[in-house]
Amino acid sequence: MAIALALLKRRLEYTNELLNVIYRCSACGGCNVSCNYMFGLEPLEVIMELRNKCVEDGFGPMPKHREWPDYIREKHNPYNEDHEKRIAWMQGSIEWDENSDLVYFVGCTPSYRRVEIARETARILNYLDIKFKILYPNEYCCGSPLLKTGQKKEAIELMKQNVKFFKNAGVKKILTSCAGCYHMFKVEYPKNLGTKFEVLHTAEFLDNLRREGKLRFEKSVNLIVTYHDPCHLGRLGEPYIPWEGELVEVIPGVTMPIPPKPVRYGSNGIYEVPRNLLKSIPGIKLVEMERIREYAWCCGAGGGVKAAFPDFALWAASKRIEEAKSTGAEAIVSCCPFCSTNFKDAITATGEKMAFYDLTELVVKAMGG
Amino acid sequence: MIDSTVRKALEEVVGPENVSTDPAILDTYAFQWCGELENLKKGREPSRFLDRPEAVVLPSNTEEIQAIVRICNRFKLKFKAHSTGLGPWAAVSGPGVILMDLRRMNRIIKIDEKNMYAIIEPYVTGAQLQAEVMKKGLNCHMPGAGPNVSPLASSTSLGGIGFTSVYTGYSPRNLLAVEWVLPSGEILRLGSLSTNSGWFSGDGPGPSLRGIMRGYMGAMGGLGVFTKCAVKLYPWPSSASWEIEGVSPNYEFCVPKWWRLYIINYPDWENCENALYRIAEAEVGVMVMRESGTPSLAVTFSHSIEEMANLIFSLGTIVKKYIVVLIAANSQREFDYQTKVMEEIIRKTGGEDLVSTGVFKPPSISYAEAIRNMLGQHAFIATSSFQSTFGMADTIRAALSVAGAAEKIKLKYIDKGVIADDGGEASWGSFIEHGHFMHMETPTVYDVTKSESCKGMVDYMNECYERNLEDNLGIPFFVVGDREHERWGPRCSNYHLWLRKIKEAFDPNNISDSGWYISPGSKKSSSTKEV
Repeated sequence: MAIALALLKRRLEYTNELLNVIYRCSACGGCNVSCNYMFGLEPLEVIMELRNKCVEDGFGPMPKHREWPDYIREKHNPYNEDHEKRIAWMQGSIEWDENSDLVYFVGCTPSYRRVEIARETARILNYLDIKFKILYPNEYCCGSPLLKTGQKKEAIELMKQNVKFFKNAGVKKILTSCAGCYHMFKVEYPKNLGTKFEVLHTAEFLDNLRREGKLRFEKSVNLIVTYHDPCHLGRLGEPYIPWEGELVEVIPGVTMPIPPKPVRYGSNGIYEVPRNLLKSIPGIKLVEMERIREYAWCCGAGGGVKAAFPDFALWAASKRIEEAKSTGAEAIVSCCPFCSTNFKDAITATGEKMAFYDLTELVVKAMGG
Repeated sequence: MIDSTVRKALEEVVGPENVSTDPAILDTYAFQWCGELENLKKGREPSRFLDRPEAVVLPSNTEEIQAIVRICNRFKLKFKAHSTGLGPWAAVSGPGVILMDLRRMNRIIKIDEKNMYAIIEPYVTGAQLQAEVMKKGLNCHMPGAGPNVSPLASSTSLGGIGFTSVYTGYSPRNLLAVEWVLPSGEILRLGSLSTNSGWFSGDGPGPSLRGIMRGYMGAMGGLGVFTKCAVKLYPWPSSASWEIEGVSPNYEFCVPKWWRLYIINYPDWENCENALYRIAEAEVGVMVMRESGTPSLAVTFSHSIEEMANLIFSLGTIVKKYIVVLIAANSQREFDYQTKVMEEIIRKTGGEDLVSTGVFKPPSISYAEAIRNMLGQHAFIATSSFQSTFGMADTIRAALSVAGAAEKIKLKYIDKGVIADDGGEASWGSFIEHGHFMHMETPTVYDVTKSESCKGMVDYMNECYERNLEDNLGIPFFVVGDREHERWGPRCSNYHLWLRKIKEAFDPNNISDSGWYISPGSKKSSSTKEV
């Protein structure tokens, strides 16, 4: 906050260190959880505006992030992978139905880097005979990497393009197994473009099926696990509620928003659902870490940190792995392909004897593989 | 900005990663709560940014601090120690100062359960210490500034009355042995530590220099660096396991058995004062504080600006002068005794307990916040900017005189529209050591985004100071720096001349940033003959 104000007041010139400070934040929203309580402060909004300003002023984002607009414009993903390979994860064994009104938005990371998540999600749907379609070739990056690094203009253009794709395809309900995409469709699209699509994360979708008795677990998975709340599904996954009003001086010297502005405390993210699913799998013992739900420690990968500051991202993940170890867990489970990548990298780098599973992988195991 | 030779010397001590001269980093230290008021006092614009340090250095131990201090002496650079940092005095007081951020020194070195003290480093926070000592059935004192504040800094270098002061005292009185890096770079060990007798006493065996070291309000970085200290601990009657249910913002605290909160309302000062004396005589409670007016109660017990406004409108003018007492007992028998005592006091003094009569039900989380010393932070709810005036510790009678004097001045500035309208009443007082003396201050809310509000707040504070002087209402908070000491010293036994002598004796090169303390003076002003 101090840096943002200093920049606005023209006390500061851009320096490498200034950019490092602004971009070394994983935009996890932990600050919002603390500062929204009692004071209604939203530091994350300030950080995002700070990044937008860095880009507008021609100094941001970090060099690695600058590659993304071109990659996304040309190949529709930030990994510079060929668009045609976006469905390579299917390996010809997945069926989808063009007439379904349920869209499985796979996302760039599950499509190219964490293909096991895409594959297991689709296998579950196929096994349960749930019709879905994918938008490929009209599935592009959701825009998160651009928006989170301050490249807002490019992000909004891309988001508008995606909305056109959704409308053309008659999309009403979006299913995603990526926490980052979920946050975008649940919060950033409504906030920036006013969209009203129904958005479900795989965890929610599968838990609904479990509660309806359509998803049953036949096999025992004997494992002690701890669940890591992804920031984008947890505190940042809380729905966005539009507000229109003004600041009114209700008491001389004291102004407040009228009507009261809905505050996103971070408490209404997706926390119980993945835990309920895990607890319902025979043989799984769920043990909790100290910092969970809206107070979860970020894996360190978000907000462009993994790309620009990989060592810092690994350090953050290694701290979380230490915390997971302290619970006696044999594996960390989560619901985010980006957390998955960072944890797997950190496990390799540190040599820790800790497994990592996406929730869908354990669901498939419990369904009998 | 320091030159490359100095930078290299500092880097050799702490490593290049722990030295910064980047303006973006330096500005985060210049940005301080109430900075705008200090800038106005210096004739500047009301900016929250104070002076930037020339560099920030992060030492990790006493030896590194000694080495940094010696470098400062060698290169004639001033230094300023900074721990958790809250308020203008956490910043450097002017140009040419290197700031030592002590955040890497965050260890609780020892908790001596039997002798009830803890040895801590500068960046241990109150919350950190309390969480650990409660596991051993103990509690620590935390200043009202909140659980985020360093008990070491509060004890050695400032002051700190808190919500539990009725039984945990206040920061300066909790200080035991101290390790102190003098402005020369030498180490001075105070109290029992100086004779290798441990940390249990601030007064011996060995030299007791607590009065010299900190005086009334502390040197605020003007006399070197305090690297370790021992603080007293107190018995904690309840469990360390705090059960909180619900999610933000709707937390529910499972109030432990043998706890009870009273909010006793009085129509006037007279009966309120009578009750305070009786509570002091009875020595009950783990929190005893006195406030007045509905806005004060609303802000203390609400958790959002909407809640605060709703309470102000719904309670109207019901709330007058009130006393808040929290009882936390060790046993059913003690609980019965304390509640009987309270009920008798309420009956005899004609008070009305707003809680038991159902007029106002405090949120359960407020009970936890009382013990965590979080209630003071509620003062930021209304506008994010407040500061206190007066701020003294004396008898109950004197404390109430302050509250009365404050009301009249406050109303004048409310009428001018420069401070928030709390009916002029909002003042906060806390018992210290079972009411043997009492603290009183008047938190006042202003708007940091408006120049006229900041300027009005400075004028209001000045008028309060003048009233302190004219009516002999004690030395208020924040008598810091030469100007204020020169103002108050002549009215208070010329203490400022002695303070200056201390500074000159301990810091002959004036190397420890004296802007929030006192500067070495001229021959005339330092002459003790004139005292």
